[in-house]
Amino acid sequence: MALYHNQPMAHAQEPTAAPIEHRFNPYSDNGGSILAIAGTDFSVIAGDTRQSEGYNIQTRYARKVWQLTDKAVLATNGFAADGNNFVKRVKQRLEWYEHAHHKPMGLKSIARMIQTMLYGKRFFPYYVYNILGGIEEDGSGAVYSFDPVGSYEREACRAAGAAQSLIQPFLDNQIYFKNQQPEPGSQPFIPGNLPLATVLSLVVDSFTSATERHIEVGDGMEIYIVMARDRTTDDLLGEGKLQKGMEIEELGTLGEGQGERTFLVRQALKRD
Amino acid sequence: MMSQHPATWGQPTPANSSFNQFNTFPLPQTQRGQSSHAHHGPVGHTQQPLVTGTSVLGLKYDGGVMIAADNLASYGSLARFRDIQRLHPLGQHTLLGVAGDMSDFQWLKKELDALLREEDALALTDSHPSLSPKNIYELLSNLFYARRSKMNPVWNAVLVGGWDKVKKESFLAYVDLLGTTYTAPTLATGFGAHLAQPLLREAYEAKAGIDGNGPLLTKEEAEKVLEDCMKVLFYRDARSLNKYQIATITSEGVDISDSKSADTYWKFAEGLRGYGAQTQ
Amino acid sequence: MTSIGTGYDLSVSTYSPDGRLFQVEYAGKAVEAAGVAIGLRCSDGIVLGVERLLHSKLLVKGANRRIASLDEHIGIASAGLLADGKHLARRGREEASSFRENYNSPVSVQILSDRISAYLQAYTCYGSVRPFGLSSIIGGVDKTGPKLFCIEPSGVYYGYRAVASGKGKALAKTELEKIVNKYLDAEQSGQGAGLTCREAVDEVARIIYLVHDDNKDKDFELEMTWICQESGNKHRPVPDDLLKSAEEKAKAALEEGMEED
Repeated sequence: MALYHNQPMAHAQEPTAAPIEHRFNPYSDNGGSILAIAGTDFSVIAGDTRQSEGYNIQTRYARKVWQLTDKAVLATNGFAADGNNFVKRVKQRLEWYEHAHHKPMGLKSIARMIQTMLYGKRFFPYYVYNILGGIEEDGSGAVYSFDPVGSYEREACRAAGAAQSLIQPFLDNQIYFKNQQPEPGSQPFIPGNLPLATVLSLVVDSFTSATERHIEVGDGMEIYIVMARDRTTDDLLGEGKLQKGMEIEELGTLGEGQGERTFLVRQALKRD
Repeated sequence: MMSQHPATWGQPTPANSSFNQFNTFPLPQTQRGQSSHAHHGPVGHTQQPLVTGTSVLGLKYDGGVMIAADNLASYGSLARFRDIQRLHPLGQHTLLGVAGDMSDFQWLKKELDALLREEDALALTDSHPSLSPKNIYELLSNLFYARRSKMNPVWNAVLVGGWDKVKKESFLAYVDLLGTTYTAPTLATGFGAHLAQPLLREAYEAKAGIDGNGPLLTKEEAEKVLEDCMKVLFYRDARSLNKYQIATITSEGVDISDSKSADTYWKFAEGLRGYGAQTQ
Repeated sequence: MTSIGTGYDLSVSTYSPDGRLFQVEYAGKAVEAAGVAIGLRCSDGIVLGVERLLHSKLLVKGANRRIASLDEHIGIASAGLLADGKHLARRGREEASSFRENYNSPVSVQILSDRISAYLQAYTCYGSVRPFGLSSIIGGVDKTGPKLFCIEPSGVYYGYRAVASGKGKALAKTELEKIVNKYLDAEQSGQGAGLTCREAVDEVARIIYLVHDDNKDKDFELEMTWICQESGNKHRPVPDDLLKSAEEKAKAALEEGMEED
């Protein structure tokens, strides 16, 4: 699909008698991939930083993952101009909500709001796949995924974008344990309660693999980790917990702060 | 209906408004002030570019940023206007390099110049700071995205080069008719994205490294790379011209060079067989 | 004001029996209460100056300016109600930019003054509005050279070599006449080069300090702009060092004058 923008020789089958209609196409596809995985008391949301159009790399660093509140992070993928402007509007709505209610919007409410905003442009859609990750009011890690016109659901994990077809089957296998059998006599698999270290290595492997096999993925990776309040950070900040070449920073609280903590991990990806 | 009440006054009479504000027209049902007869058919949108400019190149260097563009505006494959300037300064520390439809560019220039003139006038009275390159870029991004969302695009790809006086660093960013935005230490539009961008990246990374932490190109080195790129573009882009300008934007301000041309070599053409008048 | 209480001063849509519009005349009173504003046309440009009276010690230094830009090459200094002045400057900017839009060339000072005066005059025609409490000095340099106009609340406007309005304008005008005459004589005898903007900055500062009454008036700040070669033929504030030296000279001249008395 991505190899050819148009099917080769597709025009040969079309009738040539009618004049070719030349119409402005308001969309583009800027490549890249995003994914999010929920844990019991954390959520990981990641994306690569390459922005491309066709075979051109436009920039090696463009943001696709955005911290919205202390417990919500949004990843956007698809048409970058729509993505940026959509995030801008979401942030504006969150600000208005905070002015009106003196508290940040909760995760499930943000998810519903995103659905109405996307559906509001049902007949001129934002060409954007959104994945929202964060901590619910009950303290559990959560991931919501959306299609461009607002259909959404809560899941344990989701990949989207150019390399969705490469990453999602891998996550289905590793997160949802598809095509795996528990050893006889052992506990059944429960999706969504893997330890943070495992989740992080799945994220890294997903992106390094996608970088190898997909031309639109690469350059750099940004991984946001949102942790529930009172959760230990030893499995992230402890000695030797991060892989080589990773840089970590804690993003300060955006509002009053209720104990949730958000960390940003960056790692380089191959640039070819 | 144009009101005569002073409380409704506020705007100067627009050029296209009907000039019958004082009930001289005998028919009371006539809707004055609404030019209902002005429109025949749908509102005109730019559906395709007509007179176009080709590549614009941009490069960050030590102490500033350089933007290059040639002096050609093509009408299809016709080299129609061979002495137009596609580099346009905005205020003290910002410059646009514009590719795409030249009439949209002229409209853009007019709008932005008017805006900056107003800002300038207000600055004297209210002593507020002038628009930074980042401010102008944000404005352009919003404008381009809003127009594409109305299916009435501003048919251009624009490089914004500038110097941020507060951060004391150079600024370089791209925006186009779709509202697509991005920034990078080297940028190129159109054919330049294919032919020049790899050369620019190679030269930039040779010194600065892939993380950009090393030393940047000197002014002379940057100018040399851009000149090489403009030559390559002239050789291979049929809509380009060997007559171009390079603008530098530094803390000192904007400087746009006179038109210059690259030395080109065509001797090899004589040795080619299979074209032209040779008989053997 | 012998006609107060006769009923002819309530609306601008009614003349008094002897043909006057009292509301317009009252607007003139608002002007007289304001600090003096001066415009001076020089051989090489225009200088505008105002005595900005400070009604409170708490005001931020340099704030609430009374000189505004209408276009790159035109400035307006107004004496009267500050808010009216802001509104008029905004309207003037819209007129100037609309002229550029329509004709792709900068508006001349004459045409812009004419349009602004027409706007002011409209506010003397309707019972529902009050006239502007403003006397506005419009100065600029266009392709015909430096030009200076002053518009009154009635909408009437005249061109000037030098003009003053606001509190103490009579004294200021006498001083301006002296300067104008001096340079006119010099020009006519073929020896003087005419008054330059640099010289005019000193003169305007001196007159404003002279007109200011230390005993009766509140403190003031001197505000000055110019349009000349040195400002790139754009309307800009007079540079700080120049303004400061002009103020020093003005104070010195004042001391000197007091000793003579």
